[in-house]
Amino acid sequence: MKNNQSKFFAGAAVVVVAITYLVYTGIEETSVYYLTVTEAVPMKSSTEDMRIEGLVLAGSIQKDKDSLGASFMLTDDSENIPVTYRGALPDLFDDDIDVVVQGKFDQSSGKFEAHTLLTSCPSKYEATEEEGMKASFIPRPLVE
Amino acid sequence: MMVAIGEISLSLALVVSLYATLVSYWGGHTGNSVMVRSGQNSFFAMFILFSIASVVLLRAFLTHDFSLQYVYNYSSRDLPLFYTISAFWAGQKGSLLLWGWMLSLFGSVAIFQNREHNRRLIPYVVAILSATLVLFSVLMVVASPVFAKNAVLPPDGYGLNPMLQNPGMVFHPPTLYIGFVAFIIPYAFAMAALATGQLGDIWIRSTRRWTIFAWFFLGMGNLLGANWAYVELGWGGYWAWDPVENASFMPWLVGTAYLHSVMITEKKDMLKFWGVILVTATFALTIFGTFITRSGLISSVHAFGESTVGYYFLAFLFVILAFSTYMIYTRRELLQSKNQLDSMISRESSFLFNNLILVGAAFAIFWGTLFPMISEAVRGVKITVGPPFYNKVMFPIGLALLVLTGICPLIPWRKASLANLKRNFLMPLMTAVVGGGALLVFGVREPLPWVFFTAAIFVAATIFLEFARGVRARSAGGKENMLKALFNLIWRNKRRYGGYIIHTGMLVMFVGFAGGAYNSQGDFAVKAGGSFEIKDYRLTYIGYTNTNPRPTKEEVVATLLVEKGGKKIGYLQPEKNFYSNQEMSNSEVAIHSTMKEDIYVIFAALNEDEVASFKVHINPLVKWIWLGGWLLGIGTIIAMWPDAREKKRFMARYADA
Repeated sequence: MKNNQSKFFAGAAVVVVAITYLVYTGIEETSVYYLTVTEAVPMKSSTEDMRIEGLVLAGSIQKDKDSLGASFMLTDDSENIPVTYRGALPDLFDDDIDVVVQGKFDQSSGKFEAHTLLTSCPSKYEATEEEGMKASFIPRPLVE
Repeated sequence: MMVAIGEISLSLALVVSLYATLVSYWGGHTGNSVMVRSGQNSFFAMFILFSIASVVLLRAFLTHDFSLQYVYNYSSRDLPLFYTISAFWAGQKGSLLLWGWMLSLFGSVAIFQNREHNRRLIPYVVAILSATLVLFSVLMVVASPVFAKNAVLPPDGYGLNPMLQNPGMVFHPPTLYIGFVAFIIPYAFAMAALATGQLGDIWIRSTRRWTIFAWFFLGMGNLLGANWAYVELGWGGYWAWDPVENASFMPWLVGTAYLHSVMITEKKDMLKFWGVILVTATFALTIFGTFITRSGLISSVHAFGESTVGYYFLAFLFVILAFSTYMIYTRRELLQSKNQLDSMISRESSFLFNNLILVGAAFAIFWGTLFPMISEAVRGVKITVGPPFYNKVMFPIGLALLVLTGICPLIPWRKASLANLKRNFLMPLMTAVVGGGALLVFGVREPLPWVFFTAAIFVAATIFLEFARGVRARSAGGKENMLKALFNLIWRNKRRYGGYIIHTGMLVMFVGFAGGAYNSQGDFAVKAGGSFEIKDYRLTYIGYTNTNPRPTKEEVVATLLVEKGGKKIGYLQPEKNFYSNQEMSNSEVAIHSTMKEDIYVIFAALNEDEVASFKVHINPLVKWIWLGGWLLGIGTIIAMWPDAREKKRFMARYADA
């Protein structure tokens, strides 16, 4: 009886160690920096994959001819980073939208070459929730 | 006027929930049946109060009462009726109301069901459920008032986010909420059992259906969310391992472990301690998930309004953990198991391994989700992990779970003999060998998918064997034909065979997930008449049309001819929609789905010189995931169906207790 209990605990320990090992090596191998624009600027000489979050600088978007990619400036109001992205652009991609880009700095051009471009749900949509519409409410014309 | 009624109802609910908590606890403690009765009735009254508040909000939406901020923020006059109703839970405030209402409903039903049989447990159950409703009432009255008004009356609403205008998004949140809310019922009974010291299996049996109900809806909520992401978000996938997704996946995993552990408790009077910990962890994870989602603490692609509501849930989480730990600690002697493991190779121990792995999976996801926060706190840099981490970690875990799905139900209780193992596993193993060989022949040669599909064949064979044996035994006498035998087999053993059908559903879903290993995609830009190729498909862009179905919505529809191997398959029509009142556009993807693979086309852009760009994904086996979901549903209904014989056995146990 006792022997079986200890055998089971040995088996359980193997499972626990295996999962811990998986998590540990998984993080070692796949984790990437998650930076703001200001934090990313000093990392320009790094060749590592990283994620940067920021705002698309208004008026900076230059779409590729076939609309399958764009270059734009990523900003956090104190620093800017030029970004190029090749691939279909998300629906919400626009001026002043929060985006997260993942990729590497191109050492020759200094531009950030993104292989992933994620847009958060538009903040303008949710911002109204907490503030309510009090006096700042701007009436829109009736459409009907 | 109506709005005032809603506000008063919620304020009253706050008062009544406080009263019900105290009176029920005190009534249970002192054995005062008048107080206990009063607590129960107060709970039913809360259901009425939350119902009134909900009806008031629903009416405000239907009558376009834009004087309410919430109605203004989530609807507009030209929104179709279906989405006007669903706008109720499009935002946080309405979601909280829906949540509170569901809690009062489920609680009332559970209390009503158990008021006679479980006289001693019920006062504590009522106290715990009422205490939770105190939280929701406080949130709705103080922190996030759903009936808050606009200072000026706007002529029209802001409109519903176009991405939420999809049937998947209408059903996904309430389904998930049902799962989140219903897990409180087994938790409340577990705590009541601890409080009264009635730690037999009665609390487990009394909440078995609630557990399956909660588990099913939590799983379905995730699946509907995945389906919505797939058909609506247009990034070609269904699961991104985003913190918000993880938040609802973790309680499901631990809940699955709980569901299995209590089977051992019922049969063998073992693992009581473990079961109580699991049900607490499951419930705590539902609250933790709500906290992550609502606090904005962890960055996610799901933007919810960042608000203080999350911190109320965090405080509540600490209360639950402290309370549960105290209860479990003080009752630890009563939670000792009467039996011990007889053998490593037995059903008990295979269930334990299943439990460990499920909890381990939840732990891995928990760690991955919190890792950015932890690394920022400890090392000062924010480091994040994405899908590659989860895919790497979850593959071996998923494989182990899959194999255990095959082993657990067939391995005998207590101790398996060699003859036994041969009888149960020889045929499935041989089938897997033959099937694995066939896979190699048909071109599945990458090692990881091959191992996975071969394991799936093994599990399918074990399930088939169980059904085949049962049917053969029933039809042996010649009284029942095979079909009738199959039907009777399932119907007379609903729990067992419902469980097997659920396993089959999971298996089918796993096959669908594994299909992801073969995904491919491409971006293409063409003018009308141009064509492009991806894998063995050829797509020709024919042109586009432009319409205005509603004043605020413009639809651009592209038409593509799809051919495979020179044969015409049909036309796909991805759309791009523009919403003038929100200055937003969104894509409606077009999908041609077969059991083998999906062709998934996104209309990415149409530029000034009439060049259309498309993103095309070929996603193998995705349909299996949705099919597995249906099987899961059928199995769950069978496992939950009222069973006269089970009830009789149950009543006998009450008499003993």
